[in-house]
Amino acid sequence: MTVFVFLASLGGVLVGLSRQLNGRLSISTTPLIASFWNHAVGFAVLTCLGLFIGGLFPQRAAEAPWYAYLGGPIGVIFVAVGSWAIARIGAVNSALLINGGQMVTGVAFAYIRAVPASFWANASGIVLIVGGMMVSRGRRKVDRSQ
Amino acid sequence: MTIDAARNPHPIYFAGAFATGGLLTFMVHLNGELARYGNPLFSSWTAHGTGIIAAVILLLLIHRRDTPTRGNTPKAPLWAYFGGISGAATVILTSTAVNSPLGLSGTLALGLAGQVVFSAAADSWGLFGLPKRRLDTRDVAALGLVVTGAALIILFGRGAA
Repeated sequence: MTVFVFLASLGGVLVGLSRQLNGRLSISTTPLIASFWNHAVGFAVLTCLGLFIGGLFPQRAAEAPWYAYLGGPIGVIFVAVGSWAIARIGAVNSALLINGGQMVTGVAFAYIRAVPASFWANASGIVLIVGGMMVSRGRRKVDRSQ
Repeated sequence: MTIDAARNPHPIYFAGAFATGGLLTFMVHLNGELARYGNPLFSSWTAHGTGIIAAVILLLLIHRRDTPTRGNTPKAPLWAYFGGISGAATVILTSTAVNSPLGLSGTLALGLAGQVVFSAAADSWGLFGLPKRRLDTRDVAALGLVVTGAALIILFGRGAA
């Protein structure tokens, strides 16, 4: 169990690291070019891995609906905007807003798909997230009036 | 480097970051669908492949407008190109953790904790060539609120999800 806790936390660290590296690349190039390299390098690594351990061509892949293949193009925009934001508002603010956005839309998505959910946990979670964002935005106003 | 911009950012950066969080929800859902018909490695591999195609199309469409701000910034170091490796490794770690007793909620919550700790360190030390940003009380308060809110939703909110 300790191993899985470590793996899951390390996953989060790697998300932050990836955003940091792509952000650095985007300063010298553009966010879209950084996103291109992120996908190209990731694809090369995953191809090597897949050829080594197998599983790149699962049998039922052709049965997947066409829109399931749109995750990649959405990812390009996601990485580009993340690289654009992190160089300007910093790692903490980027992580905070991206995760906040994911939580709020995730809750909306769960309700649209009628996934059973606890209303009070979701509602108070969203109130806390929006409150946190307002606290973080408050400083920006002070900064600008300087 | 754009240190001034980092100290005094325009609200559009905040709105952009929030909106991509929404994109992430759809991306995770779509990649999950693909993994359901194949496996997590296939899903990530395909998403990176179709991502390359989408990036090339977008670059061809808007490249002329989106000129790099080179000139006053040094060339990117080689390690800056390795963000994709880190991203690819994330998929393997999280899909392993999701299928453990931690489940999706535990994996999401611990992943968020890992991100927050790493981001705080990255900002306070200016890791990997990005501007240093000292965290103040407001940052910590905002972080506390968002993390608590996210934890409520992840652990108790989305029910069986």
